[in-house]
Amino acid sequence: MSAPLIDVQNLNIRFHTDEGLITAVDDVSFHLNPGEILGLVGESGSGKSVTAKALMKLNAANAVIGDKTRLLLNYKDQRIDIAKLKKPKELLIARGGAISMIFQEPMASFAPAITIGAQMVEQLRIHDKSLSNAGAKDISIDMLNRVGISDATKRFEQYAFELSGGMRQRAMIAMALSTQPALLIADEPTTALDVTIQAQVIDLMKDLVRDFGMAIIFITHDLGVIAQTADRVAVMYLGRIVETGTVRDVIRSPQHPYTIGLLNALPKLDDLDAPLTPVPGDIPSPLDRPTGCVFHTRCPQVIAGRCASAVPQLHRIKDEHAAACFATEVEPA
Amino acid sequence: MFFRKKKTASKEDYFTASHRQLIWQRFKSKRTALIAGWFLITFILMGLFAPFLSPYNPTAAGRNENYTNGAPQIPQFCDDAGCSWRPFIHGVERYRGADTNFRWVTRQTEERNYLTFLPSDGWAWHVGKFNLNLPGERFDIRAPGIEFTTHLFGVQDGYIHFFGTDASGKDILSRTFHAIRVSLAVGTIGVFISFVLALVIGGISGYFGGWVDSGIQAFTDSIRVIPTIPLFMALAAFVPDGWTAEQRFFFISLILGLLGWTTLARRIRTHILAERNADYVLAAQLCGASSGHVIRRHLLPSFTSYIIVDLVISFPYMVLSETALSFIGLGLKDPVNSLGVMLQNVSKVDVLLNYQWYFIPVPIFVAIVLAFVLVGDGLRDAADPYSEVNK
Amino acid sequence: MTAKPLISAKGLSVHFLVGKGVLGRKAVLKAVNDINLDIPKGAFFGLVGESGSGKTTLGRAMLQAAPISEGTITFDDGSGPIDVAGLQKQALKNYRKKAQLIFQDPYAALSPRMTVRDIIAEPLEVMKITRTRAETDMRVREIAAMCRLNVEHLRRFPHAFSGGQRQRISIARALVASPSFLVADESVAALDVSIQADILNLLKSLQKDLGLTFLFISHDLSVVAHTCDHVAVMYLGRLVETAPTRTLFNNPHHPYTRALLSAVPSLDPDDRGKGEKLEGEIPSPIAPPPGCKFHTRCRFVQDRCKREEPALRQMGENHFAACHFAKELVGK
Repeated sequence: MSAPLIDVQNLNIRFHTDEGLITAVDDVSFHLNPGEILGLVGESGSGKSVTAKALMKLNAANAVIGDKTRLLLNYKDQRIDIAKLKKPKELLIARGGAISMIFQEPMASFAPAITIGAQMVEQLRIHDKSLSNAGAKDISIDMLNRVGISDATKRFEQYAFELSGGMRQRAMIAMALSTQPALLIADEPTTALDVTIQAQVIDLMKDLVRDFGMAIIFITHDLGVIAQTADRVAVMYLGRIVETGTVRDVIRSPQHPYTIGLLNALPKLDDLDAPLTPVPGDIPSPLDRPTGCVFHTRCPQVIAGRCASAVPQLHRIKDEHAAACFATEVEPA
Repeated sequence: MFFRKKKTASKEDYFTASHRQLIWQRFKSKRTALIAGWFLITFILMGLFAPFLSPYNPTAAGRNENYTNGAPQIPQFCDDAGCSWRPFIHGVERYRGADTNFRWVTRQTEERNYLTFLPSDGWAWHVGKFNLNLPGERFDIRAPGIEFTTHLFGVQDGYIHFFGTDASGKDILSRTFHAIRVSLAVGTIGVFISFVLALVIGGISGYFGGWVDSGIQAFTDSIRVIPTIPLFMALAAFVPDGWTAEQRFFFISLILGLLGWTTLARRIRTHILAERNADYVLAAQLCGASSGHVIRRHLLPSFTSYIIVDLVISFPYMVLSETALSFIGLGLKDPVNSLGVMLQNVSKVDVLLNYQWYFIPVPIFVAIVLAFVLVGDGLRDAADPYSEVNK
Repeated sequence: MTAKPLISAKGLSVHFLVGKGVLGRKAVLKAVNDINLDIPKGAFFGLVGESGSGKTTLGRAMLQAAPISEGTITFDDGSGPIDVAGLQKQALKNYRKKAQLIFQDPYAALSPRMTVRDIIAEPLEVMKITRTRAETDMRVREIAAMCRLNVEHLRRFPHAFSGGQRQRISIARALVASPSFLVADESVAALDVSIQADILNLLKSLQKDLGLTFLFISHDLSVVAHTCDHVAVMYLGRLVETAPTRTLFNNPHHPYTRALLSAVPSLDPDDRGKGEKLEGEIPSPIAPPPGCKFHTRCRFVQDRCKREEPALRQMGENHFAACHFAKELVGK
């Protein structure tokens, strides 16, 4: 098996706050092969966005990354540990070079005072110094066309606020892809969109993976979106991966009580009679992080005395499917 | 499980902590701001108790004729004659003779002059004394107040000048205390005037919006673009020479107040605009709440903390403006003590070369402004938890 | 609809003037355009649409929180019909006791400077429903318990609560004055999936226990499908289809409803990329297309659609759709 594009090992992120050190991501490991779509699913506070931002070193200044953390990137025969990059120049490879990111709110990634085209050209030339202005413009317009923006030459001269929501999202994707990254991080890219537009954007992203052969980390809280896009999925809860596997395995036969609860809480269009079963209780505040298994405060299958004290590790169920739960763990031989 | 219990109790405190308590909690965790806060309190107390702290009258009435342009006198415990448990200074006398070419010089005597605490025979100061000279003698308002003659310290006989004296023999320490008092008073009055104006103008602008808002904003902008230095110079020319120190003082405060409200008014307007469209205000309106209720229960509480912060932040600018005005000679003048006047005194070459103790009020002035700025910044960060990324 | 409507809109329009009108040239935004809608008593009535469809404005208009330009809204809870659009002062205050709003964002809807008790008690005090503090406290505790809030926590401030708990506080505030009609505007949209189901179940059980009528506004079809018993679909300020939930989801007649349904991402990983995808975006409500508002994106568009605006026509029992070709298109 070839080396994975990115290999995250023991990612640990804590934040310095007035209330003390808050754990946002705890011992998260995953890997991603070229051309693969990994879905990171989780609710608020699950640390999915923090995880993704760590790959580009975009976390806030008060973030502390653990000592054992390795963020290994295999890019153009190089093996780089992103966690160790410091200088702005070195960081370029993680920021727009090998990795690009798109956000929930496209306005956030466009400078309000310059045109979309100017911004795309600027970005391209930062990453490739040899590129001429005209060359960068050609690439940009080509890319705008590629993401289905009609009238790309005209849009090139426009400002982001002149575009409609769906168009902005497409323009942002075009900008993120113009540097031909090997990995695209999509942070809730469809959450702010209407369903009909969401469907368009999902289709677009699947096309792009096929055409460019890049990998995508797709962050969302919506399991339906994941089911439609991802190859593999990692379910996160309070900064830990509780279950991971292929989309089919995780959605068809969820093993972790949290994943099961999430699926039961989801209203499904094809079965209107199914009762909605909420996951009991509330997501604990990050200040109040449970000991042991982070989910034990809400878990219907909690094992008294065990789940509250010991942290379950991911154990293999079959092939790539793994869950971190004592209750579903096969008795050790 | 004693510790556990204690922990949950404190958690409940956090949950039931009001907005203001949370701000205070966050402020307390900022060390710089807290230290600055203590300094600030000290300075304010200095200003408030200036007459008590000052051993001598800071005006010409309290001058020491025998010790003009005198160097600071440091209390000591020992001299050639041995040591004493009470701090003392040596007396001074004015002398001229053949050895000085018959010029007057000040020289120390061997006589010990012991420091005393809380002497009750100092210069008289008053609490609650109030004179208002209205045109026509009958309308004058006079309140004699209560007279005190006790001060924090003094010496048995004659004078002690910790910070030295100026050209006319006035005690620089006493002048500094009074300068702090006057500058803080100018700042307070100025801030108060601009605050009232800002609250009314910004409040109307934000609450009513529409063309009222546009009109008021145009007016605010026209005030903002008035160049201050030429204006001050014009005003200085307008101020009659015959004005008393008090009149000048109130005039300066008024001018500063009338010019300083624009920024605050704009902030209040923005805040009200944002707040009045908040969902919880709509919720109150959907219960049939009147404007009065909305203002009282939602709008006012929502920005009191921000206003306090803004006031603290704008305070040093008032003090600075007063200082700047006085420094260029447009504000208060020498017999009055203010930080600006004290700073102006430093600007003479003679002082630079020979009487460096005139500089002692300068670091104090810097410290006051710095303390205000740091406390203001600390409060602002504490009031706005989103100023730092916590996610 | 057999039950007598609790609230019914006739020819309702809400128009806003937008843009800088220095020279008196303001554009008219027809947020809600000539809508007829009956909400039967005791219904859990769903209102679905994408952003810009006017669903929020319609909900606000029913609470007299949006300017009603044309048409009437009649509210009748058995004590005589009320003309909502014409309400003034005291009559409006009385109506506020009967109709309330539950907000979308549980963070913005609660004043951070009031305790939970004060937030829930505010409507009682403003409407002068209770006379003494003790009476207020009793009512607050009662309603808090009903919304499954811990009454021990009433002294706390909103910052102590998570999104789901805040939404329960918001619901308690809306219910404290015992209204009979509630508009829930995207009330679960900002919540996490695991919490969302809890709030939906709470709303359902409150509706049953207190005999409430809900107008449930949402962009999420699957949520509406699971909670509402009747659904209306809006597009660009117009109603395009309305039917009992089962009928609508099993047998949608309007092409827009069908497209909307097929755009909902399926949970089945093997069911990818099927169904009809809508092209383009919802046009600006300031310059809506002539004829059928949906014709710019419709797969089945004919010349007639571009000229003539279709009216709501009956498709079945309680089932109406505004499409010239609704009947012919079924099954295509």
